[in-house]
Amino acid sequence: MSQQPTRGTWTKCPHCGGHVNQLEWGEYCQCPHCHQYLRLTAQQRLKITVDTNSFVPLEFQRKTNSQLQVPGYAEKLTENQQRTKLKEAVLAGQATINGVSLMIGVMDSHFMMGTLNTEVGRVIRVLYTTAKQRKLPLIMFIASGGARMQEGIFSLLQMNTILMAKREFDATKQVSISVLTDPTMGGVSASFAFKNDLVIAEKNAQIGFAGQRVIKATSADKLPANFQTAEDLLQHGLVDDVVAREHLRGYLATLLKLHQRG
Amino acid sequence: MLSDQLKQIRSQNRISSRTVLNYLFHDFVAIHGDRVLGDDAALTGGVALFNDQPVTVLAVNRGHNAVQRQHFNGGMVSVSGYCKALRLIKAAQRFNRPVISLIDMPGADASAYSEHHGQSQAIAEMLAEMGELSSPNMAIFLGEGHSGGALAFANTNRIIMLENALFSVASPEAVAAIVNTDTDINEYLPMTATALKRIGLVDDVVREGPKVLENIERAVAKQLSALNQLNEQELINQRQKKYLKVLEAGRE
Repeated sequence: MSQQPTRGTWTKCPHCGGHVNQLEWGEYCQCPHCHQYLRLTAQQRLKITVDTNSFVPLEFQRKTNSQLQVPGYAEKLTENQQRTKLKEAVLAGQATINGVSLMIGVMDSHFMMGTLNTEVGRVIRVLYTTAKQRKLPLIMFIASGGARMQEGIFSLLQMNTILMAKREFDATKQVSISVLTDPTMGGVSASFAFKNDLVIAEKNAQIGFAGQRVIKATSADKLPANFQTAEDLLQHGLVDDVVAREHLRGYLATLLKLHQRG
Repeated sequence: MLSDQLKQIRSQNRISSRTVLNYLFHDFVAIHGDRVLGDDAALTGGVALFNDQPVTVLAVNRGHNAVQRQHFNGGMVSVSGYCKALRLIKAAQRFNRPVISLIDMPGADASAYSEHHGQSQAIAEMLAEMGELSSPNMAIFLGEGHSGGALAFANTNRIIMLENALFSVASPEAVAAIVNTDTDINEYLPMTATALKRIGLVDDVVREGPKVLENIERAVAKQLSALNQLNEQELINQRQKKYLKVLEAGRE
């Protein structure tokens, strides 16, 4: 085993089961054996996407919602906050990519699977509103399992209210871009994720409306092996393109350049 | 109890959207097909008169017996159904017609067919289009209506619910599987007509019983005449404010 690095910890790739040293994952978190990606945290995503030190987060006044009393939910939120160092499942702010200013939102699947709740929905509405006020383009990195069950109907109503905020942003004629990353499902997929001007999928991401377990339970369909992958969606004409993680920053920079307004 | 209510609204004797459609409207003309993929039987769409006013009707069919339920896909609207609805909403916009949806569906269709033809995009489009509609729109929940699939039909100026109807982020069983609690989940997460009226989402709860059809008609007439007083911009603003107000209500 002398050829293997002595520093760093070893982990198992969740896709191929291969043993990967911490140092081998690299900044794109790609398995050296099967070339699949690990899911990124919002911070990791920002680091490989925007210009160094350019991200300025939007400030939010924290509010609590007295209507949300599901037993055990408060504890779950606290546990997720402590583990991820995030307040909620999304980060939002202003940044630059190759010097071009934009508003950016990054969802984090490590925080309750990036699920859409009242707070995440509010942040995304403010993101659209701020992009409108500052007359800036907007990029959203999606990573979400859908609506958060623990907030019931209040989660569901984020779907239409975010689209209402987006409608006002659209009046500015600035471009909005979705990057669908692993996973993009349910109430997020069927709302703003697919409504932005351009919809790009990261290579290998799982994207869909209904989960595969639900489809298998309610229909007799036999599901193809690559079902609901980014490549499957591209083949069916459902996304504009599929882009590898290591090329995304350059790709987005080009899109921003092409949509710059004089 | 929620489980009794579920049994009742899922029973084959539950009032169907077809019955309500026949009672409420006159001169109904069905409009078929989405012009690309086909014609989804789960959704009956068309134009009709309510009193003397032309309206667009979107009626989700669930079916009474097993044969009908199979034909209607149990009320699970497919991508083709959403595209048909979208076509009807755009026509309603052009002719300044109110849109009235009759909802009884467990959720949107979950199948490889719908996924491969853009179920997410179709629902997102319909949600946006209903939100931007400059004519009045109204949703009537007859049985259950869950997930974004039902919300697409209910992004409306007014929501009317029969007293035993349910409107939830997912089926109560699915919610209960994630939210572990020994008590009725409705206690924590409003999904019944009265609970949703309390938070300001539902405008009218309709009494059931032998006079249910008359009661629905009265509620629709009342709400529609109020909406007919509003101009295009007021309708869009009212819809937007209504939902934001529900979301702001519990925050402090």
